[in-house]
Amino acid sequence: MALNPTEPKWSLRLPADCSIAAIRSVYDLIREAFGRQERLEIDCSSVDKADVTSIQLLLSTARTGEAQGRPVVLTSFSQSLRNTLRRAGFASEAMIDQHFPQKKDGT
Amino acid sequence: MSATDPTEVFRQEASELFEVLEGALLDLGLRPDDRELVDSAFRALHTIKGSGAMFGFDKVASFTHEFETAFDRVRKGEIKPTQELISVALAAKDYIRALIEDPQSTDDIIGEAILDDLKRFVSSDQPVVPVAEIAEAPPVAPAESKQAGWHLYLEFESHILRNGSNPLDLLEDLCKLGPCFVVPITDGIPFLDEMEPEDCYLKWDVKLHAACDKDAIDDVFMFVQDEMKLTLSPLQEVEAPAPVPLFQLHDEEPAPVAEMPAPVAAAAAAPVVAQPIASAEAKSEPKSDPKSDPKPDAAPVRREEAKQDRGIATVRVQAERLDELMDRVGELVIAQARLTQLASAGSDLSIKMIAEEIERLASSLRDTTMGARMVPIGSLFGRFRRLVHDLSRDLSKPVEFVTSGEDTELDKTMIECLADPLVHLIRNAIDHGIEDTAARAANGKTEQGRIELAAVHSGAQVLVTVKDNGGGLNTARIRAKAEEQGLIAAGAVLTDHEIHQFLFHPGFSTAQTISALSGRGVGMDVVKRTIENMRGSIDLSTRPGQGTTVTLRLPLTLAIIEGLLIRVGEGRYIIPLSAVEECVELTAEDERSRGRNFLNVRGNLVPFLRLREIMSSSGSPDRHQKTIIISTGETRVGLVADQIIGNHQTVIKSLSKLHSDVTIFSGATILGDGTAALILDVAQLVTLAQSKVEKQHISEAA
Repeated sequence: MALNPTEPKWSLRLPADCSIAAIRSVYDLIREAFGRQERLEIDCSSVDKADVTSIQLLLSTARTGEAQGRPVVLTSFSQSLRNTLRRAGFASEAMIDQHFPQKKDGT
Repeated sequence: MSATDPTEVFRQEASELFEVLEGALLDLGLRPDDRELVDSAFRALHTIKGSGAMFGFDKVASFTHEFETAFDRVRKGEIKPTQELISVALAAKDYIRALIEDPQSTDDIIGEAILDDLKRFVSSDQPVVPVAEIAEAPPVAPAESKQAGWHLYLEFESHILRNGSNPLDLLEDLCKLGPCFVVPITDGIPFLDEMEPEDCYLKWDVKLHAACDKDAIDDVFMFVQDEMKLTLSPLQEVEAPAPVPLFQLHDEEPAPVAEMPAPVAAAAAAPVVAQPIASAEAKSEPKSDPKSDPKPDAAPVRREEAKQDRGIATVRVQAERLDELMDRVGELVIAQARLTQLASAGSDLSIKMIAEEIERLASSLRDTTMGARMVPIGSLFGRFRRLVHDLSRDLSKPVEFVTSGEDTELDKTMIECLADPLVHLIRNAIDHGIEDTAARAANGKTEQGRIELAAVHSGAQVLVTVKDNGGGLNTARIRAKAEEQGLIAAGAVLTDHEIHQFLFHPGFSTAQTISALSGRGVGMDVVKRTIENMRGSIDLSTRPGQGTTVTLRLPLTLAIIEGLLIRVGEGRYIIPLSAVEECVELTAEDERSRGRNFLNVRGNLVPFLRLREIMSSSGSPDRHQKTIIISTGETRVGLVADQIIGNHQTVIKSLSKLHSDVTIFSGATILGDGTAALILDVAQLVTLAQSKVEKQHISEAA
């Protein structure tokens, strides 16, 4: 895919399977997106299978973005992802907001 | 390693787990009260379930889950594992194995039937105790402690997710015990570049507001307790006075009492101590804050250290890599032999020294490599326990199976080759050897038969024996059968030992009826051939009414042997040194007895073969012919050669398919000067010599 550094943001849609079985490819996907864009927007609307590894990956993405001063925004958490977050103890919206940089309106 | 198919890895892992599971189930039959066995069976099941689900074996996961659920009451100690229950559990295990290895061959109906059986057994003897009992674990008596719940700190080992364990499920189970406040700790999450996406980085801090038993919490984590750090401390009511149990704990901790890293094991004992040390309470108070309590970590740390030791102790290597390594070492040994030869031909001292140095290194490298390929034979023995269990049930002959020498190590290829022969021998022992219960009782024997499988080192060989305490071989019947088949002339004079050898004759069976197990006459000859292909030998000994012992003698390795290099005419040959007993000169007196070909070795007559004749060597023989006495078991044969050159580290190269009909050679090797030498097959030569002797007997008798 052509690389366009002037593009202001890049939206990456996570695949349906973000469980441990597929997490390696999701990880590669995110790292690749990180390599090419200043600003990264990750669309979590299609995530259907999520587990501890998905949460960790998103946390690490957010943390890495923060450390490198590159904005990372997560949008539209799917129900399945929300469930997994809740089960892992990210029980309240406040807590999710604290750990995951989100953009609620999705634009 | 990344190129290996993960499903294949799972299959391999599962097959090891099945061995653990099977072993545990069989042991459980003998020691129904052993909790450790139940737990290890459960852990194996649980891992199969978890990783099965992870690799897409959904059927495996769901069936295993059902199995686990049904077996749960055994784990809780509510019912005893009976023999019937264990048989069903073994069947369930086989079904899971089939689901993994050959899903096409399985049928859901079979699975359901097994589960039904299992459920029937576990619920038959008493009304079902509500499973919720654990969940609503009885509250600790208020008099003992004012405890309002537990504070847990969960830290998993990084590989735990790969095993199929899911911390979220554990948290959920924990929540079932009572109101739970779960706080994820995200400090450990690395940046993307340093991340292994499949590792577990999250940790959890959990406050469980339920006055449940510590055991209930232990139960939640029982399958992962080896792979995590669980710190448990009681949660106190805010108003309650400072907790004494924690103080107690500081004294108790150094002694590793509990299996689980559970520092509060002494909770029950605490109140007793509470009074005397009440004055010290003020001091202990700050320490007893669950969050800053440093002590509960001690046990997990120890556990971790122990784990690390274990981790370093073994490395998993693909078998083919070891084969490759062995091949390379083989080549090295050949190259070294050439170097040595070159060096000895020249006069350069420093080259000679280097050649010697390399010879030493090569031989120790060879030994180390062979050592790395060694596998304890116990892994093989384990498989037969199931065989004996099933056969003894099918034939209704109670049999005790005893193994010894499991630590004896053998080359891994040998272990693989040994499996089939041993199955035959053990089957024979149970089917033919052990009499039925009535016959045993009539002979004043114990009702339960006994089969011993043993392995022991003996010089450069390993002896594997299968011993039963049955009726022994029926020599008269074997003889009759041999006469009937025309193998011997009626009335020929043979020792018992010679008669027993007919059992190894192809198609020879004395069983009057063909059972599902044996009597088809394929078996012993195949066993013998397999063992001889491994350059081993097989021997039978029997005592009427007391049992039969079959002894397998096996070389330690198949790849490199010490050999004796000899010359016959122009050709050079190798005799495996382990078979060589002694070397003597062929005296003129022996030479004269040309027709008889017997050698007088200190009063014993030993038949000999002239290798020149067998190899059809041209030219005239050397003046002083040498005789190498070789032996297999009890039989000795002399081989007459022109010259004995010396010993030689022989890297065995197998002969091609084109030479498969060559019998007297078992392989070839490359000598230091680059020429090839053939390796003599000792067992075949001994047989050849014996048949010559027999022919002579017959012609003399005629």
